[in-house]
Amino acid sequence: MDAAVIAIWVLRLIFLAMLYAFLWMVVRALVRDLRAAAREPTVELGRLVVVASPSGEPAPGLAFALDAITSLGRDVNNSIVVEDDFVSATHAALTYRGRAWYVEDLGSTNGTFVNGSQVDGLAPIAFGDEIQIGQVRLRLERART
Amino acid sequence: MTAAPAGRGLRAVGRETRRFRAIPHVRGRELGLLTLVSVALYVGSVSLGATQRFRAQLRTGEPGPVDLTTPSDLGLLAIYLGALFAVHAALVMTGRRTDQILLPTVGLLGGIGLLLMQRLPQDLAGSLGGLAQTQLVWLLIGLATVAVLAIAVRSDIWLRRYKYTWAAVGVGLLLLTFVFGRDVNGARLTLSIGPLSGQPSELLKVILVVFLAGYLSENRPLLVEESTKVGPLRLPPLPYLAPMVAMWAIALGIVIVQRDLGAALLFFAVFLLLLYVSTARISFVVLGLGAFILGAGLLYFLFDHVRTRIDIWIDPFVDPSGAGYQVIQALHAFARGGLIGTGLGNGLPSIGGRPPIPALHTDFPFAALGEELGLVGILAILGLYLVLVQRGLRIASAAQDEFRAILAAGLSLVIGVQAFIIAAGNLKMIPLTGITLPFVSYGGSSLLANAVIVGLLIGLSERARDPLPPPRQVGRLRRILDRGAA
Amino acid sequence: MAGPHPPAHPHSVSGSSPSWAGRRIGIGAALGRVSIVLAFAFGSLALGAGYWQVVEAPNLSRAPNDAAVIAAARNVLRGEIFDRDGNPLAWNARDANGEPYRVYASNSLSGVIGYSSRQFGAAGLEAAWNAELSGVVSADPLRDMIRKFQVDPSDPQSLRTTLVLHLQDAAIEALGRNRGAVVMLDPRNGEVLALASSPTFNASAVANPTTSAQTFDRLRTDDRAPLLPRATRGLYVPGSVFKIVTSIAALGSGAVGPQTTYADQPESEETGWLIDGFRVRDGHHAATGAQPVAFAEAIEASCNIWFAETGVRTGGDALAEWAARLGFGAAIPFDLPTVVSQVTNGDGPLGGGFSDRVELANAAYGQAETLTSPLQMALVAATVANDGVLMRPHLVLEATGKSGVATINPSVIQQVVASGVANEIGAAMRLAVSGQIGQVFTAGANLRGLAVAGKSGTAELDSGEAPHSWFIGFAPVEDPQVAIAVLIERSGGGNVKASPIAGDLLRAWRDWADG
Repeated sequence: MDAAVIAIWVLRLIFLAMLYAFLWMVVRALVRDLRAAAREPTVELGRLVVVASPSGEPAPGLAFALDAITSLGRDVNNSIVVEDDFVSATHAALTYRGRAWYVEDLGSTNGTFVNGSQVDGLAPIAFGDEIQIGQVRLRLERART
Repeated sequence: MTAAPAGRGLRAVGRETRRFRAIPHVRGRELGLLTLVSVALYVGSVSLGATQRFRAQLRTGEPGPVDLTTPSDLGLLAIYLGALFAVHAALVMTGRRTDQILLPTVGLLGGIGLLLMQRLPQDLAGSLGGLAQTQLVWLLIGLATVAVLAIAVRSDIWLRRYKYTWAAVGVGLLLLTFVFGRDVNGARLTLSIGPLSGQPSELLKVILVVFLAGYLSENRPLLVEESTKVGPLRLPPLPYLAPMVAMWAIALGIVIVQRDLGAALLFFAVFLLLLYVSTARISFVVLGLGAFILGAGLLYFLFDHVRTRIDIWIDPFVDPSGAGYQVIQALHAFARGGLIGTGLGNGLPSIGGRPPIPALHTDFPFAALGEELGLVGILAILGLYLVLVQRGLRIASAAQDEFRAILAAGLSLVIGVQAFIIAAGNLKMIPLTGITLPFVSYGGSSLLANAVIVGLLIGLSERARDPLPPPRQVGRLRRILDRGAA
Repeated sequence: MAGPHPPAHPHSVSGSSPSWAGRRIGIGAALGRVSIVLAFAFGSLALGAGYWQVVEAPNLSRAPNDAAVIAAARNVLRGEIFDRDGNPLAWNARDANGEPYRVYASNSLSGVIGYSSRQFGAAGLEAAWNAELSGVVSADPLRDMIRKFQVDPSDPQSLRTTLVLHLQDAAIEALGRNRGAVVMLDPRNGEVLALASSPTFNASAVANPTTSAQTFDRLRTDDRAPLLPRATRGLYVPGSVFKIVTSIAALGSGAVGPQTTYADQPESEETGWLIDGFRVRDGHHAATGAQPVAFAEAIEASCNIWFAETGVRTGGDALAEWAARLGFGAAIPFDLPTVVSQVTNGDGPLGGGFSDRVELANAAYGQAETLTSPLQMALVAATVANDGVLMRPHLVLEATGKSGVATINPSVIQQVVASGVANEIGAAMRLAVSGQIGQVFTAGANLRGLAVAGKSGTAELDSGEAPHSWFIGFAPVEDPQVAIAVLIERSGGGNVKASPIAGDLLRAWRDWADG
């Protein structure tokens, strides 16, 4: 057989092999992501339930799963996006350390309130307590397993 | 301390939320995959070029060595790869932690499509200097769209909030096409406004997915819990049944008026899948399938074009030189391909100077690739689509809220189901329909619509668990955390 | 949104269901299921692609409407066809534009080689082996895979057939102006030596582009049906030659033995044999006298009564089953398309599909609904000749291409009947040709110097037209090397018989075999 024919044959096989190499890399990445997601504990540390939300964003009654660090605010990069005119871009953060919950005001314009009392910096918070940012009220609840 | 008065005493916070914080962030995985894509496309291009030169030499009978190393059209390839890397660079510069697999996958599919367009006779279509060049232009526009959407779309609020507006726009577009559309090849799909012409049905599917996502996520609780009991059957709750019947009616309308079976099938399938995703109730899906069969049966008996399609699906040899010709020739193309294909540029024997299958660049790229890349290549391409859809579904399941989840799911399913429908049609597993293979088929509207989908998917795939924006009092938080950890 | 939304159950995207209904799953799980469904859907696509690209690919690649086949046919020089001695039967010539067209050695080949025309497609062997002749498929299947990689992949192969041109010409000459067919084959290996159908046509005129259109039009409208290959696709009432089939069924199944006689047979010859209100008449022989005949004499004298009684005794089931072993009831496996020979129409309540015993009795001597093709009857004779083993008939010995030579080997279909029974029948057939009584019916078939065994038949037609004349047989009896079947449609309008034609052709065969 002609050398050119062999060369073309080889090129074709390499092209097909490259397609599979790409697929392989992608599948590996997908599987790795799946494993990483599975490894993360899906045990919720707590839930934040929306009690009142005049603007409707987030919808009242909605419940959010909480991580070790959850940020609240109007900016879309927050874990929980609160669309309220009286809420700052990065308004507050809920953190879970040493089996206790804390809420921290991140320098918001209108302040963060727990059960009506304003939070100055960092404050502990328990299940059942209500947080208010802007006009939105949220309640911290236990996780549902 | 007193309770904070609601409403009074609060200062409205200004529109500072749209602060664009662009910190460049390396996207290593995407870079690696893109490099792999470039090498693959380069090799494919060289293979195509070498085959074309070799055959030309055989035809003319010239002696001498054949140039085996130059790609078939270096300029085209370079521009396309350049655009891919440009999009990558833009995503890097804007620093969002979005998905890194979608862009390379789409890039590879688009590149394969471009290779196919280079290989086909350039005068098949294309107003911008031939088939391949026009495809390249549309690919570039598509990539730009992907970049813009991936960068700019950060919240889905504008999609979620105005869902009825979107629905209205969609239905409006549909009606416009019904009334003013041009008949091309027996299907009224094209809308011409002055010199521009496109297929609004492509964009329509995106719009309707957006609407469906909003509607379903909003009404999810009721849909999940309630039913209307009709005897022993549990139907969807009656007030919400009406919009679903409307969906079914729209699908029928598309088939009847536009004669576009593919779009109707796609639309209805995605609708049923999203219904299942949002409610997890099989009964709805079964009901939907029943409605589908009922509708299909009605259409079969009432409308000629539907009957023809289904008849030649069952037995294309009933009309081998007429309606069944395309299907038969497509199967022959697959058979000629065999296990590893005839090679890019080596298959598709022309009859009388024309390729053996009509509409090769729009309806049958799958068959053409089947012939030239063989079963091995076809499996790889199916794998690429599967990966694309799975990635989209993964983005959906990692979404923070239901709207985003259903939206991402719907968008990915549109691509996946569309690829399935046209591939199955080419293989005579379902009746042939005239929809395009995403990213591979020739066609600006299709490329654009799918680019919008991918752009939205990337844009909405930002990981929820971003590290916190640094709080004002840095030291305090750290001290508290340290104290808490102890 | 206007107004507060009614409070719903708290839920989140990937969370679990509300407590009251464990069946409802969250979106995350639903997405998981959808992704699995999609994976299966794409898997089914992969299977579909595999089916068309691997399983069905060989059939599709050979089909005449495949683009590669068409392209090859236009550009490639078709392989030549030769007879077994190397005489060319079909080759190529070039027309004014330099494009090739087919030329054939003789009109006598029109029923078997057929034609290959650019306009009118192909027929006969040209059609059956089209893929090999036009080079789309390689002689060697392994090279086929490699061949695809070559940019010039066509490998047109030339065929060496089993035919003998000389015998083919002799057969057509013997048939003369009559409509009919001749089949000659070697019973030891199934190689077909001659397959002639009359009237013939000029295949070269059909293949030549300058004359093809008018020629083909004329042929199509000719009411003598020259385009019908009678040897393989003609169906005729067999008449007495079918008694060989009945013999195989009766003796093979043991329903009767070679010494079986029927007491009422001699007198039934005068009055007819009464069965279920129908009288089976026997018009042929008074020569056997008042003695009941046994098997061999029944064959020699072609006694309808004996066979009618035997047929009823054998039973419809056995008759149909043994006939099926010979190839009845299905298309004969052969290079060319064949018609299905039948013992009966098949929708009757009696065993085997007969409507009643009257039909069975009549079918046993080759009337009623029996219909056979000349090829089928030749195979019957070949089975008897070959000790009861039926060989698959074939037309091609080898296909030679660039990549090598592919040889077609003889293949056994099955052992139809025990060799003892076959020899018994063969001896009776020898008697039918050489015996005193037999010679009355098979005049012209008994050759000096060549021991011929055979059976003649005169098939009465319902329409009252002249009957078909048949002869089947084989030679030489001691070591059979050729089996023959001759059919003359409607006795040629006069009293043309098949037996002398068979005798002439067997003589021609002997001359060829010796020479």
